[in-house]
Amino acid sequence: MRTHSEQGNTPIIETRNLAKSVQTLEGELHILSSVDLIIKSGESIAIVGESGSGKTTLLSLLAGLDTPSRGSVVIKGRDITRMSEDGRAALRGELVGFVFQSFQLLPALTALENVMLPLELIGDPEAEAAARVLLERVGLGRRLSHTPRQLSGGEQQRVALARAFVAGPAILFADEPTGNLDSKTGAHVIDLLFELNQERHTTLVLVTHDASLAARCGRMIRLDAGSMV
Amino acid sequence: MKRFNLALRLLRRDGRSGELTLLVLALLIAVAGTSTISLFADRLQRTLSVQVAEFLAGDLVLAGSQAIDDSWRARAADLGLTQSQTTEFSSVLLENGQMLLAAIKAVGQSYPLRGILKTLEVEEGEEVTVRQGPEPGTAWVEKRILSALQLGLGDLLTVGEKPLRVTRILTYEPDKRGDFYSFSPRVVIHQADLQATGVIQPGSHVHYFYQFIGAEPQLKAFKQWLKPQLNPSQRILDIHEDRPELGSALQRAERYLGLSSIVVVLIAGVAIAMAAGRYTERHFNAAALFRCLGCRQGEILWLYTLQFLLLGALASAAGCLLGWLGQLGLFYVLKPLLPQQPADPGLLAVVFGFVTGMAILLGFALPPLLRLREVSPLRVLRRELEPLPAKAWLVYGLAIAVMSALIGRYSNDWQMTASVIGTGLLSLLVLGLLIACALSLLRPLLPRLGVIWRFGVQGLLRNRRASVSQILAFSITLAAMSLSFTVRNDLIDQWQQQLPERAPNYFALNIIPAQQPAFALDLSGAGMEGSAFYPVVRGRLVAINAEPVQKRVSKDSQGEAATQRDLSLTWAAAIPADNTLTAGEIWPQNEAGWVSVERKLADNLNIKVGDELQFTIGSEQVSARVANLRSLEWDTMKPNFYMIFSPGTLDGFPFTYLTSFYLPDAGKDLLNQLLKTYPAITVLDVDQVLKQFKTILMQLTQAIDLLLYFALAAGFAVLFAAVYATLDDRIRQAALMRTLGAKRGWLASTHLVEFGFLGALAGTMAAILQQVILYVFYSRVMHIPYRLSWLSGAALLAIGVVSVGLAGYWGVREVLNRSPMRVLRRL
Repeated sequence: MRTHSEQGNTPIIETRNLAKSVQTLEGELHILSSVDLIIKSGESIAIVGESGSGKTTLLSLLAGLDTPSRGSVVIKGRDITRMSEDGRAALRGELVGFVFQSFQLLPALTALENVMLPLELIGDPEAEAAARVLLERVGLGRRLSHTPRQLSGGEQQRVALARAFVAGPAILFADEPTGNLDSKTGAHVIDLLFELNQERHTTLVLVTHDASLAARCGRMIRLDAGSMV
Repeated sequence: MKRFNLALRLLRRDGRSGELTLLVLALLIAVAGTSTISLFADRLQRTLSVQVAEFLAGDLVLAGSQAIDDSWRARAADLGLTQSQTTEFSSVLLENGQMLLAAIKAVGQSYPLRGILKTLEVEEGEEVTVRQGPEPGTAWVEKRILSALQLGLGDLLTVGEKPLRVTRILTYEPDKRGDFYSFSPRVVIHQADLQATGVIQPGSHVHYFYQFIGAEPQLKAFKQWLKPQLNPSQRILDIHEDRPELGSALQRAERYLGLSSIVVVLIAGVAIAMAAGRYTERHFNAAALFRCLGCRQGEILWLYTLQFLLLGALASAAGCLLGWLGQLGLFYVLKPLLPQQPADPGLLAVVFGFVTGMAILLGFALPPLLRLREVSPLRVLRRELEPLPAKAWLVYGLAIAVMSALIGRYSNDWQMTASVIGTGLLSLLVLGLLIACALSLLRPLLPRLGVIWRFGVQGLLRNRRASVSQILAFSITLAAMSLSFTVRNDLIDQWQQQLPERAPNYFALNIIPAQQPAFALDLSGAGMEGSAFYPVVRGRLVAINAEPVQKRVSKDSQGEAATQRDLSLTWAAAIPADNTLTAGEIWPQNEAGWVSVERKLADNLNIKVGDELQFTIGSEQVSARVANLRSLEWDTMKPNFYMIFSPGTLDGFPFTYLTSFYLPDAGKDLLNQLLKTYPAITVLDVDQVLKQFKTILMQLTQAIDLLLYFALAAGFAVLFAAVYATLDDRIRQAALMRTLGAKRGWLASTHLVEFGFLGALAGTMAAILQQVILYVFYSRVMHIPYRLSWLSGAALLAIGVVSVGLAGYWGVREVLNRSPMRVLRRL
C-alpha cells in the first residue's frame, strides 16, 4: 500500500482553460468551458451543480478517463492530456482510486476478490491480506465470500470503498457515491468515506448534487451550464 | 508469470459464476466432435485398408515381370515387414487327351498375408476356409479344370514337367486380379514346385508378385525406398488403381468423413463466435474497470487472450478425451460389422483434435475478444458507451483462414478448398444482403400488423445488425446440418444404385457368335437377368497421333497399366446407358473409324477428341479417330470398356461375346447345366468379391450414419446454445415489459413471433446456402449428379421455425415465471 504524506500547499491537480465540446446535428455543444482549477494535495473538494451542468464530464477529465477538447489537466506535475491512453491508464493505476454511483463491482467476483483486484493487477503478492484488512475496516469482514448479488446496495458501496482505498491512491474520485442509496445508508457510507480519506491522507474529488454532502468537503466548486460559478 | 496467475484466477472466477458455460459447451462440442470424427475416420480407414488389402493379399504389393533382387527383400526384412511371393504365368495343361490354357499361380508358404482362401475338399462338399496355399507336391484347381481335363480330386495333374496331386477345389482367392475378360481357369501350386515344372525359362511371360505387410510407417518407408529403384516393368499396386470399384467407394467415404468433420467444426465455430460475442459483451464493464484501475489496452487484451488460451487448452484436452471415448463408442456400436481386430486409434488424430480446438477458438473467438481492448474507461461513468464492433474483415478473415486450413487438411486439395471457400463467401455476402433486404421489407408492414406481431417483428428490427448476424449464424448451422444429411442420403443411394440387390454376380466370356443367340435365350429362359452382350476383340493401344503410347505414360499410372496389356475392345451403335458423354459426340458421321475413350484414361494419356489412335489386333493394325470421351463408374460390376468403337470399325476381326448376369445362390444347378451345354464358354464367379464389396459398403454406410447422428446432435445442441447466447437483451427487454404490466401470454406470443420469424428467415437462407454448396460439392468433389431439392428446402424452413422458435421461447421463459427485479439483477 502506498502512503501520501505530502500535504499542504502542493497542487496535485491543476487544470488550465479546460473545455469539452461534442459535435451534434445542431452544431457544436459545449459541455464544459474554460475551467481553471487547482486542487491541493490532501484537500477534499466537492463539485456540485444541476443535472447536465458538466459535473461528471469534469470528473472524467480530471481522472483521465476522457480527453478534453481544449486545455490541460496536470496531475502531480504530469500533463495527462499529452499522454497516450495507456500512459493515462498507468497513471490511474499509480495514483487514482474511484467510487462510482453504480458501484461497478464485478458480478462474478466475491467481495474479497473485488477488493483484491487493483492489487492483483499490479501483481502485489499481499493483495488478499490487504483486502481482508480493508473489508474488515468497512465492516464486511464476515461477507468476504459474498458476491455483489448477495449484498445490499450499501454493502456493495462499502466494498467499492474498500476497493478504492486498497491500493492507497493519492487521489480518490467519487461520482455521486450515495446516488443509488437511501439517505440513512448513504450517510453511513459517506461517514466511512471521510474517515478513510482522513486516515489515508487522500485527496478527495467528489461529484454530488447533495448540498449536505458537499458541505462536508473542504471546498466546493459549483458548475452551471459547463462553467464554474 | 504474474499475468498468467492473474488470468488463471480470473478464469476460475468466471467459470465459477457460470459466465463460461456456453463458451465451454461450444468448445467441447467442437473438439469432441472433430476428434471423435478424426479418430474414428482415421481408425476406420486403417481398419478398412487392412480389409481392402485382402483384395491384394498384402498391404503393399510389388508386381513385375522380373524377380526382384534379394537385397530388396532383405531391406523389407530389416524394416520388420512380413513378406510372401506369388508367381503367375499361363501354361497349357494336357490330360486325358484334353488341352486347356490355365493360369498357374505358385504361392509361398505364408501366402496369403491378408485374406483367406476358400476351397472344397470334396466336389459337392462344404466350402472350407484356409489361410495357407497347397503343400509342396499338391495342386488346388478351379472346378472348370477338372471338368475340362476330365480329372477328379486325388488325380495327378502335370504342370509343365511336374506331376502334382489335385487335393482341393479352389473357390475363392483374395487377390484375383486383372480384367475379368481374359481369365483362364486357375491352378495354385507351391512355390517349391515351381522350378521342377520347368515352365519358367529365360524370356517366359511371367508375373511376379511380392506381398508385404507390417506397420504403417515401415510400409511407407519401404515404399519410399522402393519407388526410385523400380524399373519400367515393375510397379507398386495400389487399391485405388488396381481395385477401382473399392478405391472409389473408400475415397468417397473418406471424403464424407472429412465433410462431417468440417460440418461439426463449422457448427461449433458459429457457436463459439456467438458465445465469445456474448462473453465479450458481458465483460465490457470489467474491461472498463480494469482500464480505470490502470490496465493498458495491450494488457487487457493479453489478459483475456491468456484466459481464452487456458480455456481452449482445458476444453480441448477434455474434448479430446470425450473424442477418444466417442470413437470407442462408435466402434463398439459397429463391432458386429467390422473386422475382428480393428486398427488401434492413432495418437496423431488426438493431437489434431487438440490443435483444431485451439484453432477454432482463436479463429472464431479472437475477433469479438479484440473489442475488449477498445472499451473506453469512461464506460464506468457512462454504461451506454460500447466499443465499435470488430472489423468485418477481421471477423470473417480469421474464421475463413481457420476453415480453409481445416478443409484443406481434410481434402488435401487446395483448389477444391479455394472453390468451396469462395462459393461459401460469395453465398454469405449474398445471403447477408438478402437478409438485410428481407428485414427492410418487414418494416413497412409494421403499422398493418396486430400488436403482438408488431412487437415480435420489432424485436428483430430493433438491432438489425445483430439480427442479420444471428440469422446468418443460424442459417450456416442449419445448412451445415442439412448438408451432412443430404450428402449421406445421396451417397448411399448412389452406392445402392451401383450395386442393386440383384447386381450381376457372374460374367460369361468367350461366347462364340454362333452360340450367342441360344445362350441368351437359355439365360432368359432360366430367369437370369443379364446385361447386354458385348462383342469383344482383344487388342492393344500402341500409338496416339502416330506417337508411341509408351512416351505418354507416367509410371504407376492407370495409363501405364492399360497400355501394357491387351484391352477388351468392343463396338456399339450407342454408348452404354450408364456411361456419360463428357466431350464430343456419338459417331459424328455415323460411320466406321471412330472410337469412344473412357475419360480418366484419356486424361491420363492426354487423349483429346479428334486424336488418331492406333491399335494392334493380332498381327494387324487398326486406326480410329476419337469421337468422344465418356465417364463411367467402374464399381457397377457390369461390363465396362476403355474403348468402344463405332460399328464397322472392327469388322473382320474374330470376336467373342461377353455378358454379365445375376444368379441367386439357389440357382447354381442351372449354372452347371449351362456350363455342360456350352463347354467353351467361360463363366467367372464374382459373387464372393461382390459380397465382400457389399459388406464394406454396409460398414461404411453404418459408420456414416453414426457420424450423421453425431453431427445432427452436435448441431442441435449448438443451435440451442447459440440461441441462448443472444438472449440477454431480449430478457432485459421482456423483464422491463413485465414491469410495465405486460401479461404472460402476451409476452410469450411476441417471443414466439420473433423467434419464429428468426427461424423462418434462417431456414430459408439455409435452404439457399445448402443448394449452392451442394451444387459445388457434387459437381467438384463427389462427382455425383446434382438435383435441386424443393423438399429439403421446405424441411429446412420448418426445422428453422421449430428449432429456433422453441429454443428462443424456452430461453426467455424464465422472464415469464420470475419477478422482473430478480431477472434484471441477474443480468
